[in-house]
Amino acid sequence: MKLPLSWLKDYVDITESIDVLCKKMVDIGLEIEELVYLGENVTNVKVCQIVEIAQHPNAERLLCCKVDIGEQIIPIVTNDHHVQVGDKVPVALHGATLANGLQIKKGKMRGEESWGMFCGPEELGVTKDMYPNADVDGVLVLLPTAVVGEDIRKEVGIDDYILDVGITANRQDCNSVLGLAREVAVALGKECKEPDVSYTECQVPTRDLVTAEVQDFDVCPSYFMQGVVDVKIEKSPLWMTSRLAKVGLHGINNLVDITNYVLYEIGQPMHAFDQADVSDKTIIVRRAKDGETIVPLDGKEYTLTNEDLVIADKSRAVGLAGVMGGANSGIKDSTTCVLFESATFARGNIRRTSRRLGLRSDSAARFEKGIECATNILGLNRALHLVEQLGAGRVAKGAYCLGKMPETKTIVFEQSRIAKLLGITIEEQRIVSILQSLNIQTSIENGVVTCIVPPYRDDISRDCDIIEELIRVYGYDNISGTLMENSHITSGGKTSDDTLVDKAREVLNGMRYNECIFYPFGGKALFEKASLEPIDESAYIKLLNPIGEELSMMNRSLAPNMLQCASLNLSRKNSHLKLFEVGKVYLSDVLPLVELPEEQKRISICATDTTFDCFRDDVLQVLYAFCDKATLQRSAQSILHPGISADIVVDGEIVGFFGKIHPQIAENFNIETSCFYAELNFDLLKTKVRGAIKYQPIAKYPSITRDFAFVADEDVPAQGILDVFLALPLVEDAQLFDVYRGEQLCAGKKSLAISVVFRDLNKTLQDSDIEKQVAKALKNIQEKFGACLR
Amino acid sequence: MADKIFEIQTVCCQELEKCDCLQALQDLRVRYLGKSGELTALLKSIKDLAQEERPAFGNKVNELRKLLETLFANKTTALKCSEMQRKLQQEKVDISLTTMQPRGALHPVTLVEKTICDLLIAMGFEVLSGPEVETDYYNFQALNIPADHPARDMQDTFYIAEGILLRTQTSCMQARHMEKKQPPIKMICPGKVYRSDSDASHSPVFHQIEGLVVDENITLCDLKGTLQYLASHLFGEDTQVRFRPSYFPFTEPSVEVDLTCSNCHGKGCSLCKGTGWIEVLGAGMVNPVVLENCGIDSTKYTGYAFGLGVERIAMIKYGIPDIRLFYENDVRFLKQFGK
Repeated sequence: MKLPLSWLKDYVDITESIDVLCKKMVDIGLEIEELVYLGENVTNVKVCQIVEIAQHPNAERLLCCKVDIGEQIIPIVTNDHHVQVGDKVPVALHGATLANGLQIKKGKMRGEESWGMFCGPEELGVTKDMYPNADVDGVLVLLPTAVVGEDIRKEVGIDDYILDVGITANRQDCNSVLGLAREVAVALGKECKEPDVSYTECQVPTRDLVTAEVQDFDVCPSYFMQGVVDVKIEKSPLWMTSRLAKVGLHGINNLVDITNYVLYEIGQPMHAFDQADVSDKTIIVRRAKDGETIVPLDGKEYTLTNEDLVIADKSRAVGLAGVMGGANSGIKDSTTCVLFESATFARGNIRRTSRRLGLRSDSAARFEKGIECATNILGLNRALHLVEQLGAGRVAKGAYCLGKMPETKTIVFEQSRIAKLLGITIEEQRIVSILQSLNIQTSIENGVVTCIVPPYRDDISRDCDIIEELIRVYGYDNISGTLMENSHITSGGKTSDDTLVDKAREVLNGMRYNECIFYPFGGKALFEKASLEPIDESAYIKLLNPIGEELSMMNRSLAPNMLQCASLNLSRKNSHLKLFEVGKVYLSDVLPLVELPEEQKRISICATDTTFDCFRDDVLQVLYAFCDKATLQRSAQSILHPGISADIVVDGEIVGFFGKIHPQIAENFNIETSCFYAELNFDLLKTKVRGAIKYQPIAKYPSITRDFAFVADEDVPAQGILDVFLALPLVEDAQLFDVYRGEQLCAGKKSLAISVVFRDLNKTLQDSDIEKQVAKALKNIQEKFGACLR
Repeated sequence: MADKIFEIQTVCCQELEKCDCLQALQDLRVRYLGKSGELTALLKSIKDLAQEERPAFGNKVNELRKLLETLFANKTTALKCSEMQRKLQQEKVDISLTTMQPRGALHPVTLVEKTICDLLIAMGFEVLSGPEVETDYYNFQALNIPADHPARDMQDTFYIAEGILLRTQTSCMQARHMEKKQPPIKMICPGKVYRSDSDASHSPVFHQIEGLVVDENITLCDLKGTLQYLASHLFGEDTQVRFRPSYFPFTEPSVEVDLTCSNCHGKGCSLCKGTGWIEVLGAGMVNPVVLENCGIDSTKYTGYAFGLGVERIAMIKYGIPDIRLFYENDVRFLKQFGK
């Protein structure tokens, strides 16, 4: 809300500096989003009077003037031939700066001294709404009342501050000069003046001008209307247009300007109908019929529904209530009789109508936040007062007052509640004086506080609201920090899920993987880069109102974002990447969603410039943070290279997969180096977590280690051979320690070197004890894998 | 014969003196003290002596054996010692030769989240998590934000379906938790939240930590104390906390919380736009409407709640200028947080 300091001063006597004022406003909850001094860029410009004009001796188009700036007469050269001796004009002196950034210096123009420059309205940042004739293209001739030697900012009304005040969503009542004045008065400990709403009614009754009727009070709880006759449409006085200009509005005509003025000053959106355009002299406030059409001020046709509220005459809708007036019932130069409407429309309806039709207006924005019926009356009366003050017409007798009338609210609560909530006690007298300053009539008897809340404070409905009012004025700096000494002791902690995730992170960090975080959504283009085939869009949970297509679908895999990140890093010459993410995928069988989807936690891991073996060991290391027994099988994951990838199986379920990225997908992401990817299903993995640690006795008897080398076909899995050994009762461990391929073997063969540890927990093993087992294993391996000892 | 003993002693001592390696020493020992060594030979020659001279001679040879054994032992120790010295001098590595890479880093969001959670766990808070795809009820209605409430404009919401949206705040967990549990409640809920907003200081996805305490005798002073504790651990002992009046539908009173600028310590700088204060979070006393919505007796219990932006804290703490850096995941950015 833009608040000109000069306007505020109509209501509160402010002697404090602007800095003090701003600080006090911030302290009670009015955020100063921006503070602008209108004359900030206009310095060292004064009012001067021209005392002599002569033709420049060396230039036909220039004039040499002598001007009085108060303390001295100085020479000014100008090219504006309209100026006359005796005119008072703005002069920018040596060192002056102007609104357009221009800097002025003393100098000679074609050999003649000029100690400055006459200014036009643009150079001062002044418009015709702010100063008479300020639309001239040339030097601005000031009013005869201007004081010679005075700072020009005072004369043209730019010696003013505009405070842009941030108002919280509950304080609609502050969305006006008056509303803010009430708060400022409290902040400064001063009185707030009431707006002048006096006027004299003439003999013509409003009822003769119009019949007003509200059909749906649920969406229009209060509706006031009063007429003005003998209207003279003309320009508004400068003081009014100047104020409107400061809040960003152009002067239109006296009647329209009055409604705008009241909008800003009182916070009441008003509408002025030309009575001549209201057919049958009837105004009906009603819900629109489904399919009814309307052409409001913007000239476009809109189709309405029963949700929308319209202002209608007997035959048709003429305006969208609270959103926009009708195209043909507005104020024209020929208007002689005006009907002022001041009403409250249900904020939900206004909001929905305005959103659905895409029609935004200042008044809709205010109705959406809620307007009190007390404001209806104040706004209407203020407008009528201004009509009289401006001589814009005569106020008709009586008004339509339909619906609700302003009500005060009474809130009663125990005084002890204050300390209970705030943790500090405030003196009784202080409580009363603070609340009174907010126009909340307060009494305290026997520890019971009774408050009567003014009608414009819609936001106050119970004790805690009153307590908030109290503390924001009393000052939050009076709250001291305590650490819940009077509450119960609770045992805090993480969930077991979080503990497991932390463990996985710890393991990954230890192996030099860096954690990434991605947006959990993406777009079709990205997802298809990470797929060999076109994706099935219908399987994805989609945002109804995404920022863009590229952020419109919730993840079903962590791979696309991770691969995109790898690609980005590689393109920036970051190599040997080791990355991981703890993320989620969002899955649902029923789309569009009717209930919340499954949010499945997963861990994605990515490494580049490495080998399958190294990457597999890293992935398994993470897996061992959860469980011991995992087996690998060839993976069918289409994003992976079919020969260089594996699924991880625990207890018969696939808990994840890893491998080299499929060359086609690597190409899609412009990844030229070797790139490996793994994705683990955390939610499944956490169900496989090993039990509590239980001590196992350390073997007392020595072990026997035997090494074997098998020659096998390329596609024989080493793990298969190991598993044969591991299945033997005396085998404690079996490990692959070397793989050989080369000259000494036939093509398509490899040699696997395996070390097997045998141990009996109850006695020292003799070679003879294991011979039989070894023979059995070798036979088994020969039969199963066709592998023989080398 | 006595001469022979003396001669052996003298020669052996001379040879011992010259001996400069363990192998030579071992050979020498075999030569003198071995089974067929000189001393054994000497002792065998006892048979050439008269019967009465034999005991004295035997004693002398044994004395010599003892002496030589001591000398050999000493020499062994000395040689081992010098050999080790020589080895120590020879063995030298290039201590600068390393291919070590530092351990991986947690994402700064995780790092800040973890720091804050650990601090609050120590105060008895339990850490919870909730769904990101959330119902309108938990994200808005339960928090005293009915349909068409102007406060809905405060947050640009991503919608998924009728009544289903991406949560705009972790506050949803307030209602979810209170429905299940009666006071005393001390909980925090970190997680992703979503708003339809994107520039240098706004990201459509960011992280919040919600804090909620509901119990008997919980006051606004407790809120300030808790935040003061957090602030001083996050930004340094001298960090001050300031409350400013604000509005959230689910708290009453509601406050914006400022901290003294960690960059200038309150003197005023470009980071805090000269004010000396930085706005870090929103908080307040739980609105009794919210307690009642969740079936908690609002006359008996009071509570406080706060919601802080994790990236915002990280940006201030580490001096990160642009929120988009968090989601770009350039490793040169990520690695900085592994220290």
